[in-house]
Amino acid sequence: MVIHIVEDDPGVNESLRVLLQALDHVVISHSTATALFTAPLPTQDDLVIVDLGLPDIDGASVIRWLKNLSAPPRVVAISGQSQKLIDRALKGFQALTVLRKPLSGDALVSFIA
Amino acid sequence: MPKSSPMVHEARLLGILDTAADGIIVINAKADILVFNKACEAMFGYAASDVLGKNISLLMPSDFSVDHDRYVSHYLETGERRIIGIGREVRGKHADGTVFPLELSVGEAQTPDGRQFIGVIRDVRSRKAVEQRLNQLQAQLVNMARVQAIDEMGAAIAHELNQPLTAVMLYLQAVIRKTSSDTASQLAPQTLEILNKALREAERAGGIIQRMRHSVERREPERQACDLNALIDEALELVLLGHDIEGLQIVRDLDAMLTHVHVDPIPIQQVLANLLRNAMEAVRKSDRRMIKIQSMVSGGQAIVNIEDSGPGIPPDGLSNLFKAFATTKKSGLGLGLMISRSIAQNHGGDLTVDGGGDGRGATFSLRLPLIVGSHEQGIADQ
Repeated sequence: MVIHIVEDDPGVNESLRVLLQALDHVVISHSTATALFTAPLPTQDDLVIVDLGLPDIDGASVIRWLKNLSAPPRVVAISGQSQKLIDRALKGFQALTVLRKPLSGDALVSFIA
Repeated sequence: MPKSSPMVHEARLLGILDTAADGIIVINAKADILVFNKACEAMFGYAASDVLGKNISLLMPSDFSVDHDRYVSHYLETGERRIIGIGREVRGKHADGTVFPLELSVGEAQTPDGRQFIGVIRDVRSRKAVEQRLNQLQAQLVNMARVQAIDEMGAAIAHELNQPLTAVMLYLQAVIRKTSSDTASQLAPQTLEILNKALREAERAGGIIQRMRHSVERREPERQACDLNALIDEALELVLLGHDIEGLQIVRDLDAMLTHVHVDPIPIQQVLANLLRNAMEAVRKSDRRMIKIQSMVSGGQAIVNIEDSGPGIPPDGLSNLFKAFATTKKSGLGLGLMISRSIAQNHGGDLTVDGGGDGRGATFSLRLPLIVGSHEQGIADQ
């Protein structure tokens, strides 16, 4: 399993990568949605962590794109936005896990496991 | 042409005076009323026949009438002008005893009957009432804005601190997990304990942020059916109040259908006032100072566009525009646009900007959903 990170905040992006690598995961991190789109596709075995507040394309669109892949990977959304904005952005998504920032490593680890 | 007799001449003059919108009073050097036109009758509640020949102090509150006699004799003795040719705001007394503010200009004429003084009077009650209403509204807005700003500032701080705090927590967890699982890089128990304590403190800070955020998120806007155009006009009035508006062109293009938009009026007016204030600031140094305000219905939303003729917003400034504490102004915390966007989003709408440039000014667009009710549905359908 490869864990893909799509997060524009450099601190969050790197600390996520460092934590996941410390847990012996293979990690590919991107700071924009465009970077994810142009990289090799995540596979069904992979996990993609998507920040909802991306600068180029909104996180919800990225998640929709991922879910529509022929072999969609698992997806977890992360966000520092208000619950109202999260609800609005993710309207229509079924059973999508959202972890709110500040992000607890334990919550993330238990999701991965 | 035959010359009119003095009596005919005087009658004509009185006829003209009676058509004047302003009150006109003529008094002699003893302050006896010689002329009292129709506008004065309406203003003071006396018929001309009741006051002609009487002292003008009749039309003033008592504290002022004493001074008035003194002013007249002082002027007649010294020639020193306190009001003549200057004009000032004074108080008048209605026949029913009501004291009201009026603007008085006084001119002087030497006539065959001696010195006469001509007073032109304007009732400024309605202007005063508008000023008072605006002052009340402004005070209310400032107060509400302060409460809202504290809330929103809390939310802004929560949001801004979230990212670095997340990073701190993840880094600490990475170190703790790595050193716990990897015997080669194991830390001394004391060091590990310190790291765990640091992590707990970071988590405590995270808990505080979450509580701050929850207290703000719980608050729903207190919606009521509002005339959005009236909110725009009131915000405009507020912003223009006390500013130099010479040479400033305001273009209003308002959709008459927007009379029942369900919003919380105070914060929305705060957003509008903030956008208009920014627009005024943006055009301050421009050769052409124009602010265009447009309201319309599109895609089930009420949209207010505020466009200015300023220099536009440089592309590198756009990304930080709605972020907290990212102001380019000398005063203020840079929370205005961030709070405004947050208010719009809290209403289920949004605040966006087209930065303009290359001769175009910036355009801010406030979007608010038209809650679907019978009337709003009607608007949305159109």
